[in-house]
Amino acid sequence: MKRLGIISLFTLLFAVFIIVWNYSYQSGLEEAYIPINNNKPTSYFLENEGMEYSKFDLDYANMPFDENHQRTLEEYYKNRAYYGAPPIIPHSVKEDLNIGRNSCLQCHQSGGFSKRFKAYAPIVPHPEMTNCKQCHVPQKSNSLFSETNFKKGKFPEVGVNSALNGSPPTIPHPIQMRKNCLSCHATPSTPKKIRVTHPERIDCMQCHVQSNNNINISELEVFIRKNYTNEK
Amino acid sequence: MYTSVLTDRRSFIKRMALLSAMTAAATMFPGILFAEEQERGLPKNGNLDWKKAPCRFCGVGCGVLVGIENGKAVAVKGDPKSEVNKGLCCVKGYHSVIAMYGKDRLTKPLIKKNGKYVETSMKEALDLIASKMKETIKDYGKDAVSIYGSGQWTIPDGYVASKLFKGCIGTNNVEANARLCMASAVTGFMTSFGMDEPMGCYEDIDYADVFVLWGNNMAEMHPVLFSRMLDQRSKRNIKIIDLATRTTRTSKASDRSIIFEPQTDLAIANAICYEIIKNGWVNKSFVEKHCNFSKGLTNIGYGLEDKFKFKDKPEKITFEEYKKFLEDYTPEKVSKLSGVSVRDIKYMASYYGDPNKKVMSLWCMGVNQHTRGTWMNNLVYNIHLLTGKISEPGNSPFSLTGQPSACGTVREVGTLTHKLPKGVVMNKKHREIAAKIWDVPVENISPKPTYHTVEMFRALDRGDIKFMWIQVTNPMVTMPKLKRYRDAAKKEGRFIVVSDIYPTPTTDIADVILPSAMWIEREGMYGNSERRTQYFEQMVEPPGESMSDTWQLIEVAKRMGYEKQFYYKEETHIEEIYNEYIQFHKGKKHGMAPLEVLKEESGAIWPYVDGKSTQWRFNSKYDPATTKEGFDFYGKPDGRAVIWQRPYEPAAEVPDSDYPYWLNTGRVIEHWHTGSMTRRIPVLHKAMPYAYVELNPEDAKRMRIKTGDKVKLTTRRGEIIMPASVNERGIPAPMQVFVPFFDENMLINDITLDSFCPISKEPDYKKCAVKVEKV
Ligand code: SF4
Repeated sequence: MKRLGIISLFTLLFAVFIIVWNYSYQSGLEEAYIPINNNKPTSYFLENEGMEYSKFDLDYANMPFDENHQRTLEEYYKNRAYYGAPPIIPHSVKEDLNIGRNSCLQCHQSGGFSKRFKAYAPIVPHPEMTNCKQCHVPQKSNSLFSETNFKKGKFPEVGVNSALNGSPPTIPHPIQMRKNCLSCHATPSTPKKIRVTHPERIDCMQCHVQSNNNINISELEVFIRKNYTNEK
Repeated sequence: MYTSVLTDRRSFIKRMALLSAMTAAATMFPGILFAEEQERGLPKNGNLDWKKAPCRFCGVGCGVLVGIENGKAVAVKGDPKSEVNKGLCCVKGYHSVIAMYGKDRLTKPLIKKNGKYVETSMKEALDLIASKMKETIKDYGKDAVSIYGSGQWTIPDGYVASKLFKGCIGTNNVEANARLCMASAVTGFMTSFGMDEPMGCYEDIDYADVFVLWGNNMAEMHPVLFSRMLDQRSKRNIKIIDLATRTTRTSKASDRSIIFEPQTDLAIANAICYEIIKNGWVNKSFVEKHCNFSKGLTNIGYGLEDKFKFKDKPEKITFEEYKKFLEDYTPEKVSKLSGVSVRDIKYMASYYGDPNKKVMSLWCMGVNQHTRGTWMNNLVYNIHLLTGKISEPGNSPFSLTGQPSACGTVREVGTLTHKLPKGVVMNKKHREIAAKIWDVPVENISPKPTYHTVEMFRALDRGDIKFMWIQVTNPMVTMPKLKRYRDAAKKEGRFIVVSDIYPTPTTDIADVILPSAMWIEREGMYGNSERRTQYFEQMVEPPGESMSDTWQLIEVAKRMGYEKQFYYKEETHIEEIYNEYIQFHKGKKHGMAPLEVLKEESGAIWPYVDGKSTQWRFNSKYDPATTKEGFDFYGKPDGRAVIWQRPYEPAAEVPDSDYPYWLNTGRVIEHWHTGSMTRRIPVLHKAMPYAYVELNPEDAKRMRIKTGDKVKLTTRRGEIIMPASVNERGIPAPMQVFVPFFDENMLINDITLDSFCPISKEPDYKKCAVKVEKV
């Protein structure tokens, strides 16, 4: 009986060892990647009006700032077929057979530094949408099937969107699916030019209003002041 | 921290003007002009004109907003107001506008002279087509000319094609590529309900508790709807079950992935019905009040031989007989045949049978491209009818379409050999309605259907058809057993006209190539999977001499002497045609929304009655066409839907020792059909540059094949060499391979089989036997 006890104790210890070793081995195998935060997404789907921020309790006010690994605005724009297009995936993707939920979001939900890419992972402004590869595709080839005449067009410049010297700039882009301002404007992967100086003030739209470019102009009626005194 | 570059030396006044201009003045006081300089800095996009359209590509029919700048389409975003996609698109939709700007866009008509294509004027090309048609009709009769169109035809395109060929010329040689994707869905609806198209709508997704996907890789093929399902899953407790022959992104994202042996879906569906009856889950009052039981012929063949004919003989049976028939389909028996565990069959049956669960079944090509496609459609309806889970929010057998207007144009306008905009050519009354609206003598319309698509190309091969006009489709990539039909088209004495926007393998066989205006370069309408008709205006100018397919047909019709019927004015013809067309569908059962409504809203669902879309048909709560309380399947004379006794029968070609693998073909998310548009979109081409053959990792290991290795596929039709793909986009079950068909450099259809469902005549692209070797 005693012997059995000892044996099973050892077996148990051994099993625990295997599990622990396996775990640490597995985590060693995982790509060197430091998630900043691991909160699970809650859900929303284009229903919310107004701004979304801090949805996943990321501490945008205290994001690391690492000048050596910052993207430029040009790099940021390069990944888009036109201004406002869903960016391509600029790196190879290990697993093609998934929609992205469990792989892409590992890095892009909370960001973090990837040694493999020597860069900070950009944080997705809409982590509730998990079919990532529905809109974002990697580029496996550099060739074209045939040439195109499509021109990328102009992307917005920075520093020209304020009304007064020093007044809060307006938002020059549509915010559809990009309502979480800070996920693009206050993370280590944010291009310097568009990084906000005051990420601790989380209600962005209190001061920054949209310029009219995401309003469907054709839908707005011309406002004509009625002259009531002349009404018949 | 650092200081950002938020300020520069712009003057106070300019900034003032900019802000106020951008926020208010521009729209409210259009008279005020801005100095160029003041607008500098903001992207030109800032003043984009956003116009709404349905997406060019798939049958989901997302609403998109296209950004127009200086006469060019430069950007796309999802239309937040669209009920279909609520602002979300997929990668094809977002980049769709780039498809218009390929460098090799066809801009001038080309005529083949001594083996070379010579540029000519549109007038000359149209003259030639008209005279060729007249000559062919004179020499060989009306049935020697034909038109082969598309589920990507706009409604006006299909309508004028049908009017010209069926009404004026008097031949039923009108077919469309939707025969290759939707015909089984149509015959399924007709046999079960007597009326085409789904009873429910996309909103069902917001109410259903369980989703069963029958051979449907929605994550890639109907991505926006799939995202809508995922969104529901994050909010409520729902289950997604993926029943398929291949592991895909959909399987990975679903709650349960069930893999079955090809063709055995017939048996699985029957096994589910068996379980429902055995466990007393039948909704008795529903079945008694609203259903009949029928059986049809069995051993119905595969259509492999020329001039194959089949006519089903429906026969009423009793519930008891049906029950007896199902005894062959116990879960235990079916499990052996299908490879699906007894537990999984019972698991699915229990969801269908649970009266407290709302179930939505969704399917597309897996069920339709099937040598028993009509039966498979019937069988899914059987499950929903036995349990009464139909025609109400969330309870919905939903047949998805692939093309943006397979429903709107091919099924509703009726551009198939047996169809008319209302009804079928065989029916005298229907011919009379058509003759009246078309303003032709009723004798003009032939009461006999001629060739369905496969047979039409066979007739071209035999020489029964001499002239074919192909619009908005690429059959020289998509026809099964392609080589035969490519050779046919090249034969002496055949005259082929192809209207397209880029050079394709189909324009390669053309005698005349007409440059077409695509999508928003013209005006038109599409009709999507959920019976929603959507309108788009012309937003940009078509390049060169490109002309809409509608106007090409009208020009030829006039040249053939049908000015009276083709009286339309160039500026208003789309409106005139639409108004003429909707006369066919007047009434509560199929009324179409007036054009003003389509222009205002993100489409409308027919039947459109008293200013309202009908979201759920056959249910008196929602459908004003019903004549009794509760359910009324008014497509059938007695108002009862039919539960069909349909057995399992094997596929046309089954793997054997010479050809031991199954060959399955399909699409990928990045490319639309044959890629003639999406491959010209750099982002999409770079993401998916060429086709490949997917192998099961075990098979690959055994044959020592790794990704990128060259693999030879051989069937009884021929062989093809392509790179292998192991553990990438999809994983076929053991002893199966999968090949996407978008790549014109690797024409997989050269080796597929042209067997089809004898009832729907839709080919089975999903199953034939193939040998796989490493080279
Ligand atoms: S899902 Fe279909 S309709 Fe929607 S954007 Fe993608 S291709 Fe277009």
